[in-house]
Amino acid sequence: MSIQVNNISKEFKIFKREAGLKGAVKSFFNRKYEIFHALKSISLDINEGEIIGILGENGAGKTTLIKAMVGLLHPTSGSIFIDGFSPWERKNNFLKTVSIVMGQKNQLWWDIPASESFLLNQKIYQIPEKQFKSTLDEMLDLLDVRDKVNVQVRRLSLGERMKMEIISALLHRPKIVFLDEPTIGLDVTSQSRIREFITKHNEQYGTTFLLTSHYMNDIQALCKRVFIIHKGEGLYDGDFETLVKKINPKRRLQFEFSSNLKSLNVEKLINKPNVSINDQCLTAELPDNEMMDFLNQLFELDTPASFSFEELPVEETMKSFFANPEKFISKL
Amino acid sequence: MRVAFSKYFMVMRMTWIQALEYKANTIVGIFAVISGVLIEYILWDRIYETRGVEIINGFSLNQLIVYIFFGIMVGQLKSSWVTSFEMIECIRSGGLNKYLIRPVSFFSYHFSLFIGYNSLFYFSYFAMIILFQLIFPGWAFQTPIQAVAFIIFLSMAVYLSYSIYFLMICCAFWFGEVRTLILAFNLSNRIFTGSIIPLEFFQESILNIIFLTPLPYLVNIPVNIALGNISSLEWPQLFINGLIWVVVMTFLGQILYKIGIRKYEGFGG
Repeated sequence: MSIQVNNISKEFKIFKREAGLKGAVKSFFNRKYEIFHALKSISLDINEGEIIGILGENGAGKTTLIKAMVGLLHPTSGSIFIDGFSPWERKNNFLKTVSIVMGQKNQLWWDIPASESFLLNQKIYQIPEKQFKSTLDEMLDLLDVRDKVNVQVRRLSLGERMKMEIISALLHRPKIVFLDEPTIGLDVTSQSRIREFITKHNEQYGTTFLLTSHYMNDIQALCKRVFIIHKGEGLYDGDFETLVKKINPKRRLQFEFSSNLKSLNVEKLINKPNVSINDQCLTAELPDNEMMDFLNQLFELDTPASFSFEELPVEETMKSFFANPEKFISKL
Repeated sequence: MRVAFSKYFMVMRMTWIQALEYKANTIVGIFAVISGVLIEYILWDRIYETRGVEIINGFSLNQLIVYIFFGIMVGQLKSSWVTSFEMIECIRSGGLNKYLIRPVSFFSYHFSLFIGYNSLFYFSYFAMIILFQLIFPGWAFQTPIQAVAFIIFLSMAVYLSYSIYFLMICCAFWFGEVRTLILAFNLSNRIFTGSIIPLEFFQESILNIIFLTPLPYLVNIPVNIALGNISSLEWPQLFINGLIWVVVMTFLGQILYKIGIRKYEGFGG
């Protein structure tokens, strides 16, 4: 089951008017429209069993791309094939092999327990009884919501509801799952539980996952490959770790001196940018090629009480990237 | 076919479960019929008394009230404006996504919802009709075949009404907000389908125009069949005419939906 996105573009006609009553009256007689290019010649190939992250700022075109791939939107030009199916033809055999979870839209019936919505999906997707029971049992345990399955959906917490949404979307064991912000607004425990679940599901069934998320921890934990969209254009398609290294090749060093700092000549070290000292501990953020020299200098000065390296938080790295993507484009 | 039926039956089953959570809604529905008939009784009683006549447009006061009793019930059973509002909102705000991504039809799913939500009305109105038959034997359903014909024409009215609403709902793909269209239709619908007064009360020229539309098949014809005002000899022709409207409306609805869905923008994340 492969996904081929060939040069798709999507344009929206957007109605614009001036603010206020005067603007409303004027626009009633003379409406002004603008063409908004949500996607510009996007191409993407995804292999079976991959977990790929679609990244981009708000309004970049991530959700539009997913909607086009799942057949909710007709692209203005280009083509998409999912295992030979054109999504917007919405053939039943295609719909049975894909699923989508949107963090801000729900499929479950609000006033009745999720178990009833699961039964409805069993009928809609014609899931055999045995498979339905075993899949449901397994997912309820993995997501730790067995005791909530017979509680009215509106009485569930946001995290529990999202877990139920995910179960509902995966009951028919789709081969491709689109997850649009699945952890939005969830606490760290629920986020982590959902990530573990996606990983296990992917390993067990070879399901392909396409994921959008503003939480870089989700992306880091789940996606080896990412596709970055910026203002409707594809900016990067490749390994996530490599991308992070390209954006910010630095690592953080924590070096704890064993001797009293007053007796050491650390002045020339702390004058460097990205180096600071707090009590007995020095912190430096440097690229790998400068790190060894710097570390040698530290060892010449003093024997460390302890020292460690750590990667810089991905969240911060990507934040700096999205603040000015053009700056990094040449590096990519 | 069996598979399709089972999934849409499941949708109906869900509405029953949900409806049982909101029992008051059904009680209000029954009260609406009784209070509607009472109000009309008081109004028409005064009209008959003031005019000093026993028959108006071929209806005695009792016949008129029985017509209104059935008219309000049939009108209520085929009215799908609540479902229509939900469907319009789906198109406006992106809620349609959840139907498009599953192997279900938006039209059939919501038709099942509509039938499901109205089911309690069907049962309670059925009980009211039985009660009516026991208290006033011979005022309606003079022969058992009339009851069968009434059920057939009522089913057609329910489906035809939903198909007409669906046509208007599809306009939301182009205009976004079309709830006013539904409200306007609802208003004219109550008058021109014969829900609050028999169509026989209209002038000949207006009546001729009304009979060129599907509106009489929604209330007037099923009610007149129940009350024995239409000879059984006319039923086959009326049935064929009604069926033609059903086919036309369904076809137009599907065409409009297929064109409209290409304009759908699936708003919201």
